[in-house]
Amino acid sequence: MHGYGITLHIQMVSKDILRVEEGSLYPALHRMEQDGWVSAEWGISENNRRARYYRLSAKGRKQLAEEEKNWERLTQAVAHVLQFA
Amino acid sequence: MSWITRLRGMFRRERLDQDLDEELRAHLEMRAADNLAAGMSPEQARQEAQKRFGNTALLKEDTREVDIVGWLEEAARDFRHALRMLLRNPGFTVVAVLTLALGIGANTAIFSVINSVLLHPLPYHDPDNLVMVWESNSQHRNPHNTVSPPNFLDWQSRNTVFSSMAFVFDERDNLTGNGEPQEVVVQDVSASFFSLLGVDPIIGPGFTPENGQPGHANVVILSYGLWKERFAGDPAVVGKSILLNGHPETVVGVAPQNFNWFIKDGSLTGAKPQMWSPFVFPQSFHDHKQIGRFMTVVARLHPGATHSQAKTQMNAIAARLEQEYSDFNGHWGVNVVPLRQQISGDLRPALLVLFGAVAFVLLIACANVSSLLLARAASREREMAIRTAIGASRWRIARQLLMESLLLALIGGGIGVALAVWGTNALLAASPRNLLDLRFVSMDLHVLTFALAATLLAGLLFGFLPSYISAHSRISETLKEGGRGSSSANRRAFARNAFVVAQLGLALVLLTGSGLLIRSFVRLIGVDPGFDTGHLLTFKIALPRSKYGTDPLRMAFFQQLLARISAVPGVRSASMESFPPLTGLGAATGVHVLSQPSLALSDLPVANVGVVGPDYFATMSIPLRVGRLFNAQELAEEKHVTIINQAFADKYLHGVNPLGQKAAIYMKSFAENEIQPSEIIGVVGDVHQIGLDTSPEPTVYWPHPELVMSGMTILVRTSNDPLAMVSAVRNELQQIDPELPMAAVAPMDQLLADSLSRSRFTMLLLGIFAAVALVLAAVGIYGLIAYSVTQRTQELGIRIALGAQRRDVLRLVLGQGTRLTLLGVTVGVLAGLGFARLLSTLLFGVSATDPLTFACVAALLGLVGLAACYIPARRATRVDPIVALRYE
Repeated sequence: MHGYGITLHIQMVSKDILRVEEGSLYPALHRMEQDGWVSAEWGISENNRRARYYRLSAKGRKQLAEEEKNWERLTQAVAHVLQFA
Repeated sequence: MSWITRLRGMFRRERLDQDLDEELRAHLEMRAADNLAAGMSPEQARQEAQKRFGNTALLKEDTREVDIVGWLEEAARDFRHALRMLLRNPGFTVVAVLTLALGIGANTAIFSVINSVLLHPLPYHDPDNLVMVWESNSQHRNPHNTVSPPNFLDWQSRNTVFSSMAFVFDERDNLTGNGEPQEVVVQDVSASFFSLLGVDPIIGPGFTPENGQPGHANVVILSYGLWKERFAGDPAVVGKSILLNGHPETVVGVAPQNFNWFIKDGSLTGAKPQMWSPFVFPQSFHDHKQIGRFMTVVARLHPGATHSQAKTQMNAIAARLEQEYSDFNGHWGVNVVPLRQQISGDLRPALLVLFGAVAFVLLIACANVSSLLLARAASREREMAIRTAIGASRWRIARQLLMESLLLALIGGGIGVALAVWGTNALLAASPRNLLDLRFVSMDLHVLTFALAATLLAGLLFGFLPSYISAHSRISETLKEGGRGSSSANRRAFARNAFVVAQLGLALVLLTGSGLLIRSFVRLIGVDPGFDTGHLLTFKIALPRSKYGTDPLRMAFFQQLLARISAVPGVRSASMESFPPLTGLGAATGVHVLSQPSLALSDLPVANVGVVGPDYFATMSIPLRVGRLFNAQELAEEKHVTIINQAFADKYLHGVNPLGQKAAIYMKSFAENEIQPSEIIGVVGDVHQIGLDTSPEPTVYWPHPELVMSGMTILVRTSNDPLAMVSAVRNELQQIDPELPMAAVAPMDQLLADSLSRSRFTMLLLGIFAAVALVLAAVGIYGLIAYSVTQRTQELGIRIALGAQRRDVLRLVLGQGTRLTLLGVTVGVLAGLGFARLLSTLLFGVSATDPLTFACVAALLGLVGLAACYIPARRATRVDPIVALRYE
């Protein structure tokens, strides 16, 4: 998926609640690429433009699983706190 | 892993930039196309896409920085930018760089000396386990007293903390054969001396344990210097025989070049050794009654034994020896001193004070540069505000300013190290002989590391505050107010004021330090040595026992020599003494005045013993106070007479008429029944024997026949320059005995100057540093006031336009300077009172809190501070109101 596609995808999936700023998207993508969590290659987009496509690598998947677990723990914790609120 | 990607990135920098551009452009276009599809006009579609994107340049910069290439590039850009800024303000740059170079250079120079004297490893095996063992007397308060051989033997047999102990004592011997006769300093040592230190000769087998046995000790090791000078560095000298005092000795080795065992306390010759020879104790050395204290002792701790264990055990042994031989060891204890402490002991306080002083100079320099940067930051405030407005983060701005500071520091540090190389050489050239060993002071890796650390630290120190304040300024305020009166400007003004106060305070501490040293030096040279040092030539003669084995032979030689020298035209008189004054040496012993109650030997009052030749008191110009001087008969044969000095009469005779009193002087023997008491026939004036800073000690003088010594110092009073007489005097000596060398030839003035050299050296250096500090502090306050006058031009113009007089303006500007100066002086005086105490060991005859010094220094600093303010203040009075109002 290319950068623009990612912003659209997040916006759509989150039903317009989350919107990614381009200002933080690209530095983040490049940082993840440096860390080897995603790989990138040039391709042709739906409307025939050259665009840079990002793909999750094996290492990235592992990291994702890790982060998901962390997120789950965090949301659970928040949920518990809210129950007592 | 990831750094490989980053490294790879370095080689495709160009493509990276292009790729990023293209990626972002694709994004923009896709968004614009979608917008268009959603029904916007093409213009609107593009604008909306761009707006969502925000600051493209910043985004690119942030994205690029993820890559090391980007990061390096940013750093390089900061660096280039910093360089441009420095080049654009050459005046500022030169002042800042020179200030830093001075501070860093002075620090590096002093550190290089400290490095070699206090930190450099000693050239012995495992030097931390080496200690000196001294005797110490609770009554005479000499912690480093030489050791008696019987006590050494007892220490050696009873201790379990040392793996080995060795003794050393030095003497001057005549080296003859192969070339001119030469007097050499020989250290008589235990056969185990070299193996204890862990030093092997560079050639030859060295001493073996067998050399410590009677009959096998006729071997020597040469010093590297003597080997090069006298034997032309010939390796074949090993195994050859040389003549020492007429006795043949076999050369068994040459010591390494850096081996130079010399412990000033306890050296009988006061000179570095040229040769070592094993010494076997004769029977008399086992008996306290027959031998005194004259050796130095070095020992190596057992592996695992600590210094404190050694101290404890040796104290216990000494306490037992004090009981067992109460006559000789009463009040005598032991003192164990680590070798490093022994060697650097004298220099340590002076070096640490100097190091503190240069650290202060560097701090003042940093404050100056920091203050300059603050002033400049104010004028660049709008530049920074604009950069912030277009997206530069605080860290980004602080980083760039810090880069400028570091660049300044590095240039300053580079020049500083060059200055230090030059300064260290100047330092060594100016340092007195024998104070620093030239060969060991050099710029090694430690020194360069220190210089780099000092540079970086200085850069961060003076760069931190200005960049912090700049990075935290509020941009809206800055842009509105045109750079004046903003909160960051207030913070800057406060910081600069604080810097000036700190600078003045630090400078005052240094000035009081150097003022105190100057005062004590003036006191020192004002001390009357007790004799006339001008036009007095001194040199040493040591008669070899082989040729001058009996007292009559020695007496005849010296009589003939003095008679011949006295007859030389240009010589007013000539005499001799065993231990001349101001050389730091003396021979002291117990004296019993017979009219006083008898005491154990170790409880007796102690006096120096001087053995003198004919006309001694006249030649030295020592005045006779009471009685008479030695007559011709007493100078020719033993008549049991003595002359005492005023200090002896005052301290030991308490107003009793000294003339006709008899005194037993325990010099030739320690056994009471063997001593023939001497009758006191006169009292002479006091002489400073050890040095001008030590008060005269009680002294008894004997004419030469009372104790015929083979080594004497000849004293020649000349009409003109004493050194011009040397060849004539040498000629007379060679007429009597061509084999005898003249050693340690020096005018007495020179010996006096040498004895003062350390005080003069420390005073000179601290004085230089204090002067530098004063100049830097003056520049600091001048810069501050000049800057504030420039900033207030408009205000001053209005005041003048409204009718303010020159006087009012002057008072206004000077008032600011005066407040700061007074505050700085107050802070400095308080700090100075604290720091001066550290100086007390270096002071003579003046208290560390001497009010006169503090008052003078405070006044001096105050005047300099005001003078520095006066220049810009006068400029302020000349402000033309018209010009000032048009100023913006």
